[in-house]
Amino acid sequence: MDLLNNLALGFATAASPWNLLFCLTGVLLGTLIGVLPGIGATATIAMLLPITFQLEPVSSLIMLAGIYYGAQYGGSTTAILINMPGESSSAVTAIDGYQMARRGRAGAALAIAAIGSFFAGTVSTVLVAVFAPPLTAIALQFGSAEYFSLMIVGLVSSIALAHGSVVKALGMVVLGLLLGLVGTDIYTGTPRFNLGILELSDGLNFVALAVGVFGIAEILRNLENEHERDVVIKKVTNLWPTREDWKAMTAPILRGTVIGSALGILPGGGAILASFASYTVEKRISNTPGEFGKGAIAGVAGPESANNAGAQTSFIPMLTLGIPANPVMALMIGAMIIQGIVPGPNVATEQPALFWGIIASMWIGNLMLILLNLPLIGLWVKLLTIPYYMLFPAIIAFCSIGVYSVNSNVFDLYAVAFFGLLGYGLAKLRCEPAPLLLGFVLGPLLEEHLRRAMIMSRGDPSTFVTRPISLILLLLAAAVLVVVLLPSIRKKRDEVFVED
Amino acid sequence: MHKLAIYLAATAALAFTGSAGAQGYPERSITMVVPFAAGGPTDTVTRLVAESMSKDLGQQIIVENVGGAGGTLGASQVAKADPDGYTLLLHHIGMATSATLYRKLPYDTLNAFEYVGLVTDVPMTIVAKKDFEPTDLKGLIEYVKANADKVSLANAGIGAASHLCGMLFMSEIKTPLVTVPYKGTGPAMTDLLGGQVDLMCDQTTNTTKQIKGGTIKAYAVTSPKRLDALPDLPTVAEGGLPGMQVGIWHGIYAPKGTPAEVTQKLSASLQKALKDPNVVARFAELGTVPSSEAEATPEGLKSRLESEVTRWKPVIEAAGQYAD
Amino acid sequence: MKSLSFSARDLICGLLFIAVGLFFGIQAYGLEIGTAFRMGPGYFPLVLAAILVLLGIIVIVQSTQLEHEPMGPIAWRGLLFILPAPIFFGLTVRGLGFVPSLFFTGLLAAFASTKMRPGTALLLVGGLTLFSVIVFSYALGLPFRRFGPWLGM
Repeated sequence: MDLLNNLALGFATAASPWNLLFCLTGVLLGTLIGVLPGIGATATIAMLLPITFQLEPVSSLIMLAGIYYGAQYGGSTTAILINMPGESSSAVTAIDGYQMARRGRAGAALAIAAIGSFFAGTVSTVLVAVFAPPLTAIALQFGSAEYFSLMIVGLVSSIALAHGSVVKALGMVVLGLLLGLVGTDIYTGTPRFNLGILELSDGLNFVALAVGVFGIAEILRNLENEHERDVVIKKVTNLWPTREDWKAMTAPILRGTVIGSALGILPGGGAILASFASYTVEKRISNTPGEFGKGAIAGVAGPESANNAGAQTSFIPMLTLGIPANPVMALMIGAMIIQGIVPGPNVATEQPALFWGIIASMWIGNLMLILLNLPLIGLWVKLLTIPYYMLFPAIIAFCSIGVYSVNSNVFDLYAVAFFGLLGYGLAKLRCEPAPLLLGFVLGPLLEEHLRRAMIMSRGDPSTFVTRPISLILLLLAAAVLVVVLLPSIRKKRDEVFVED
Repeated sequence: MHKLAIYLAATAALAFTGSAGAQGYPERSITMVVPFAAGGPTDTVTRLVAESMSKDLGQQIIVENVGGAGGTLGASQVAKADPDGYTLLLHHIGMATSATLYRKLPYDTLNAFEYVGLVTDVPMTIVAKKDFEPTDLKGLIEYVKANADKVSLANAGIGAASHLCGMLFMSEIKTPLVTVPYKGTGPAMTDLLGGQVDLMCDQTTNTTKQIKGGTIKAYAVTSPKRLDALPDLPTVAEGGLPGMQVGIWHGIYAPKGTPAEVTQKLSASLQKALKDPNVVARFAELGTVPSSEAEATPEGLKSRLESEVTRWKPVIEAAGQYAD
Repeated sequence: MKSLSFSARDLICGLLFIAVGLFFGIQAYGLEIGTAFRMGPGYFPLVLAAILVLLGIIVIVQSTQLEHEPMGPIAWRGLLFILPAPIFFGLTVRGLGFVPSLFFTGLLAAFASTKMRPGTALLLVGGLTLFSVIVFSYALGLPFRRFGPWLGM
């Protein structure tokens, strides 16, 4: 059978001692850098890209892919331990993961994240291997109208991210959408909302925003009342997930894997929604939705699995079409070109060893990561016993380096300070940052697809309901809205007293 | 006080010998700024050339990506850098077009830089979705003129190569089309593959593999000669649009005031790099060729920049689209 | 007249939404709005800004209905030392170079805590700088100048 032969070729390539070594180096480097606060997968790959140029093409890509997964694992670690997400996906993990850590369950949270990611990675690797071509064909059916409707589903669901007032959560989404529009209008090249600052002409930097509103704001909150409040986490109870934890995480991991795999295939921004979508689903079907935001296991297991599954399946458009689904993929395509491989529809037939080698290395990389990360949990948890006043100067220093290294742009550092202030202010007002972040990443996409869909239909808005996929998505959005709003109207929302 | 004076004098003397000693150049690593993100086509070109030049110069050339504002952020950073030959810029055709696209640039395009030389001229291809009706360039022009309101022309955003080429195409066939901007080539190509949009004109770096793979239809290449990578694809001149000859040229610049010995030395090194078999081979895979020895000189780049600023000014002004 | 009691938190929050909405709205109004077929750069932001103002009003209206809780203390010392730290790094990383710039950035941040003693701070930040130089500058080869031109190097 073809598939088996191909996979055998792939594993033979990826499991050569050299490639295993590069894969290991990649995941190690990725984990190391990803764990440093403020540096997510994209920044990590951009930083480490040059060191792969000297290698063989296959080894180089295997190592880059390793860095990518490694950075994602590492990014979740920082999100859980110190509430500092480096990517939009780990922003979701931070919501409940950090709360688990504060309750002394950092070890369990990290283990759940690792196990969920590994399971999702395994399943989606199989998906990539077996179904890549047909899935690509489906993804290409998505035009701008479909993406717009998909984003609407995402936005409507985002209300579930908040555990306080629905109106404030909506306000934060809209605020995020508006912040996402800062920069240059891609349709006309008109600069907007940039206050005449040239550095803002490509918009606000996501990393600066995330580090500011999550990380810096959290540090400030912890410094509010140093002497009275014990900012360091309660005593760590048990490192490993208990029997109940296993029960609680199984179903969310399965659902997260399905959601993430499906969304990751869409090159126009599907993977961004994966972790948000999974969180929403888990919160909605949970028997104890009140637990979310206070350290719900499903709130870590689901999104982490979805995120990793999406990261994996977002390789599909790259491998089958040569099209980058996200900035990381764009960097990998650049690396391929430098290696003398121009990615395109023929890579699978022209370079089977490379193509299948990468697929096989995905699974090997995930395996290495879980073997690497589970023992490390003890170490990470120890890190939390360092007094907080010794920890945060390091966090600030690494954030500064990380944010600066993305674009060598000092303006981004000023943005960190600004968003730190804004994030702190919003936290004092009980406005939560997660919906803001989702709005921020979706804002430009939403507008872009809306306007493009209208151009394509020559100004006829019925395009959103006459195209079947789009119509289905919009109906789904309406259904979600009803489900989300109903209980809040009926129960008069026992105004949740958030966190501390 | 005394000690300070001696120290200052010593530092000044050191600095003086440092700048006078261009023959010793380069004594430390050189930073080459790419005004675009890592991994893009310009970054790729830069890294290939920088690696080869590093070997020749005996010093590491560090590629630094300073993306943003259509390449003008990186360019302005280099324009302000010390003119000591340790900060260079590799920029493409955008250097010339941004002079018109941006009405308020923080540097004067024609007077803020010294020139090292041209690196390469990447040709463009006129491509369409796979099942687009017309079979050749003539047929395409007729079809587009007859169905101007139905045809959608994609580009990768204001100022992108595909935007420039698209403007040129519309001005050559004297037919305005509905243009659909995207954020970068990736999404534009996705929609072309999916048949969501009809036409695009983009660099061979982005289109060659898709054309070979039969996933999109190609009508013509904008180079003067057919490409080795795509021998069956006619040129625009063969197809009846000689005015469409255009290439995405790349050049290396240094801040104004960089000593001539330094730029000459860099230029000689660039010429060697462009003959490096590895560079030639990788360029060929990207569907492009290195610039000739005559072009890879300060004069070659200077005259190209000047003529291109003049060429694009009316095209951009006619389209009435500015980036600021 | 019935005396209204507002939740200060929600009142500020609502006002913030309205202010931001107005800011974007006014700016967007100055841009081209366009038509539904060819939306201008101002179309979508204008719609969003209007929604945000509306949400702000709702938050204010609701602020009269909910019970209040105190805002809690404000981390003045944290604000004073933490926020300038990345700014300082941005201002000096090119001029002073990576090593001194990072050192002082860390030191600045360290003083945000009242628990930090000068000796500990120096030791901590020194170690931190050493670690960062090894990892970022040497191991990863990031294009940072270790010591910048302001130091005459």
